[in-house]
Amino acid sequence: MNHFIVLAVLLPLRTCYTTHSQQESIVFPVTYLNVSKELAFQRLLVEWDVGKSAHDAELAMLFEIQVRRIGETTTVWTEFHNVTLDKSGDPLHWMWDSDLPLECMSHSVRIRSKAEASKIWSEWSPWKTVLGLDTLNNSGPQIFPNEKIVEEGSDLTLCCIGRKGHIIEEFSLYPAPHVFNHTNSQIGLLTVKNVAHQAVPHITVYCRESCTEEECYDHAVLFVGKPPNIPNDFSCETQDMRTVTCTWSQGGDTYLYGSHSPKYTLSEEFSQNPIPCTVTCSEQCSCSWDIGQQRIYNITMTVENPLGKKTATDVFDVTHRIYPAAPFQLWEECRDTEITLYWKYQNKGFELFCQTEVVQPDGKVKLHNSSDSHLHYASITLSGLQPYTEYTARVHCAAAEHFWRWSEWSEAQTIRTMEAAPSGKLDIWREITQVQGGRNVTLFWKQAPGFRANGGSISYEVAWEKEEGASKLERMSFSSACNSTRISIDNHSYRVSIMAKNDVNYSLPSVLIIPRGTEKELSGSELQEEQINGTDDGIFISWDPRHMYDSYIIDWCNFPTLQPCDLQWKRFRPNTSSALINSAAFVPGVRYSFRIYGSVGNRVSLLKKKTGYLRELPPLFDPKVEKVELTFNAVTLSWDSYPTDESQSGFIRGYHVYVSPIQEVCSLQGSRKHVLPDNSVLCKYTIENPEEKRYTVEHLLSNTKYKLAVKAYTGGGETPIVNFIYIDTPFNSNMLYLLVLLVIVPSLVAAICHWKLNWVKDCCCPVIPSPNKSKVLSFKEFKIGSEKVLKVSDCIPDMLAVDNKAETQELHPWSQLSSAPTEAKTDHNSSWIYPSENEERAFTHTPTPQTHTWFENFAYSSHFADESCPYQIPETLETGKAEPSVVLYQPHYYFDISNEDAASTPGETPGRKTSLRYISQTDVHCLGRRL
Amino acid sequence: MRCGGWPLGMLAAVTKGLLILWAVPSQGGRPLPPPTLQQIQALVRHMAEDAQELFTFYEENQHLAIHHLCRTNRPPEWLRGPVLGPGGLRELRGTMTRMAQALQDITRHQRDLNPPGAEILRRLASTHLKVRGLLSNLDGLFPAPSPLPGHRPPPGPTAPTKIFRQKLAGCQILWSYARFMAKLSARLEARSRREKRRSRRGPRPPTRS
Repeated sequence: MNHFIVLAVLLPLRTCYTTHSQQESIVFPVTYLNVSKELAFQRLLVEWDVGKSAHDAELAMLFEIQVRRIGETTTVWTEFHNVTLDKSGDPLHWMWDSDLPLECMSHSVRIRSKAEASKIWSEWSPWKTVLGLDTLNNSGPQIFPNEKIVEEGSDLTLCCIGRKGHIIEEFSLYPAPHVFNHTNSQIGLLTVKNVAHQAVPHITVYCRESCTEEECYDHAVLFVGKPPNIPNDFSCETQDMRTVTCTWSQGGDTYLYGSHSPKYTLSEEFSQNPIPCTVTCSEQCSCSWDIGQQRIYNITMTVENPLGKKTATDVFDVTHRIYPAAPFQLWEECRDTEITLYWKYQNKGFELFCQTEVVQPDGKVKLHNSSDSHLHYASITLSGLQPYTEYTARVHCAAAEHFWRWSEWSEAQTIRTMEAAPSGKLDIWREITQVQGGRNVTLFWKQAPGFRANGGSISYEVAWEKEEGASKLERMSFSSACNSTRISIDNHSYRVSIMAKNDVNYSLPSVLIIPRGTEKELSGSELQEEQINGTDDGIFISWDPRHMYDSYIIDWCNFPTLQPCDLQWKRFRPNTSSALINSAAFVPGVRYSFRIYGSVGNRVSLLKKKTGYLRELPPLFDPKVEKVELTFNAVTLSWDSYPTDESQSGFIRGYHVYVSPIQEVCSLQGSRKHVLPDNSVLCKYTIENPEEKRYTVEHLLSNTKYKLAVKAYTGGGETPIVNFIYIDTPFNSNMLYLLVLLVIVPSLVAAICHWKLNWVKDCCCPVIPSPNKSKVLSFKEFKIGSEKVLKVSDCIPDMLAVDNKAETQELHPWSQLSSAPTEAKTDHNSSWIYPSENEERAFTHTPTPQTHTWFENFAYSSHFADESCPYQIPETLETGKAEPSVVLYQPHYYFDISNEDAASTPGETPGRKTSLRYISQTDVHCLGRRL
Repeated sequence: MRCGGWPLGMLAAVTKGLLILWAVPSQGGRPLPPPTLQQIQALVRHMAEDAQELFTFYEENQHLAIHHLCRTNRPPEWLRGPVLGPGGLRELRGTMTRMAQALQDITRHQRDLNPPGAEILRRLASTHLKVRGLLSNLDGLFPAPSPLPGHRPPPGPTAPTKIFRQKLAGCQILWSYARFMAKLSARLEARSRREKRRSRRGPRPPTRS
């Protein structure tokens, strides 16, 4: 029982397994394979089939297809192709596009199959080959493709098939793009990636075998172009509801010309018919045809060239696409302020809406709309025009019901309106000159902004009469070229009127009252003239407005220095208080005078006088220094004749005086440093009063050269310094006196001294025998240090010489000594003991009192002991009385002859004392003698 | 280099223009006197220069200068010569008629290769006009019955269909034409010199070739 059950289960399972295994192992090999080529598209067409059983089973199958090229070792293409078979039993198809021209070499295809359910592939079919031209016997090399049109940017492969037994030696393009080139075999290959349009319209290909005869060459031509562009402005319209014209732009250059250029065709979708029209292209392409009764159109325009095709469509109702023809034959009827303009247009059967463009004389354009239902012509009346004025008018129209486009403009018509009386008033002004017995009045007139002549020929009429009392009205007429006249009147008040006149009538009169008045009143000489400054835009003038005036007038001369000066005037509204006056005649550096008048009831009064420059310039010339007053330390300059009036090119604001400093440093008081463009330095003095034309430069050095310059300055500055005045300050006489005193007098004294040297010597310095050479001193040597000492006891003096010269006494500083200068200095009174220890620093001698022989000689300037001497100590003197006298030689002391107070004293010059023990008299200066 | 403010090229162009004005009789609606031999000779001289310039430009422009492809020694039969056969200038009419046709064909081919207004098209048109001008002069010099309507010159050898072949054929025709015109001009010059020499020896009744 159990075995049976097991078998019952296992048996179906085995059956299922067997069936499944059979299915997995079933193969359906390719039973038929055919390969052909479609050279126009360089395409391989493959056809094959499998067994009928596979079709019957409607199997889903997978085919692996391989393509290879003869001569190449690898397969060039492998593709898996899924197909579900049907019971029809039709063969299967597959296409392959070759990048290499199929003529270049033979191509082979093989296929194997596999049922999708199966895991086993069938055997490969045998290779099926389509032969290339390389297998044929050619009469010469052949290039493929030839005359191909290639789209710009694509890749291109060319081959050149040589004859059997020949190799391709040269295979190239002109112009030569970057190519991959393979030659030296029977087949030459050439690949161009991303082909670009060259400067030339086509590419020439050359191929040559390894010989040079004519049959060894082949040539081909290739075109590189672009597919046509989509015509994005394709549009259709009608002028007369009978003919429709479609227009479009050609678009960009496709680089394909002649028979390869884009071809245009139009077709109508509703009627499914091609449009019978001939396309013409110049700047735009167009095509026209008669429409008949059809009103709604769906036009498709197709543009096609060898590289592609593009279309554009336009769906429209003809009545909505009316583009009328331009109006023609314009004519007009004129009045002084109106023109009626007429025009014709083609009869149409639809209502038009027209627009008239009127160009005014000032260039402004005005548009006037009109709608007219006349059959053959239309008109419009243009009003509000100016008399005797030229207008240019033209018309265009559009469909009134369904506006599509304006027509072209008609021919422009230039029309002049009729004449009328002058409108507006003249602007008039006057200039009054007082003369003997009356006044000369120059009258000026010009056309005010609102004035219009309204006619071709215009003239002016001037009339004047006394304002008070009956007088004869005097009149004068002037041509259009005149704008002023002069009349002579007496000192009464006059009323002047001026009118313009044309062929039709007079304008309204402009009136001016010439009041009675003195010269002073007329010229306003009592008014102060104010200075004003110009700006870049003109000269700004302001005044105080007064309620009483109905207008203000400013007049000035354009050329103030000329006669006539071209008087100008400008009129301002009553509420105006300032004006910017400008004129093309205004130039910098010219002083203009302005008079401001208030006007009420045709009478004017002078309110203000102003004067100014458009722009001040530096003075035209420098002040001429007329007078130079020079002292040893100052110079005074004056330039009195320098003008400060209107002849100057600016208001003179003051002067600068420049002085060259000593050593490039400006230290002169009251001046400022001024550096010239060449970096040299001047001292600058500023005078701010233009009428102060004299200046003194002080604190100069005597006997010194200076250069000076005087410059005037205006609001425009001053001109560069070019010319200098050169001065030489004189010598200072005080300094001369001092020099004489300090140098010459002492020199003179010294010279005299030198001249009388012997006399002076005898006087001042007599010869004194040397004590050491004296017989008196020829004694046994007793020395104290280096000095011989004579004991008085050993010496018997035989004579004493007494020198009592008066000057010595006088010059001796210690006058007390003069009482006993001639006494022998052996006297104990004349001896002194050197002071105590405190005095040691002043004298180098031993402080111990010693006994010396001491000879007084005034040439050696001996000193006598005296109670008054501050250096003598009373105790010492007393000691001296008891002791044998010790006489010490004392050195001279020097006195400044010019300052006795500065005389040295022994106590003040200890060093000098210690350094001198003995001085030969011949070494003593005579000045010392005077001591 | 400029000469009195005029470039030399411009002066040359102006001179040529004046020469053509003189050489090509105008047709102002009234019968014109027949052209003189001197006029025809001047026109031929100018056409010879123009033919050489056209060939040089064409050869360069069409990239045919390589291997001297165009400079064939086998010109078309109608350009082979002799340039002045027994019939003299009268025979030239046939050659020029064929040349005018050939220039039209070359122009048509070049229209496929060049944008409208290209220099090569302008030059071809100019040369075509000159050939027509010479034909007109020859017609004036040797009046002949008008050709029958629709008459065309006998067809030449089969025209090449491939574009390159067309280019090359056109180039070879222009080369042969340039040589033909150069020879013709030289021959006319020589004949003119001979006649001048003869006229110096003694007056002879004028003859037409």
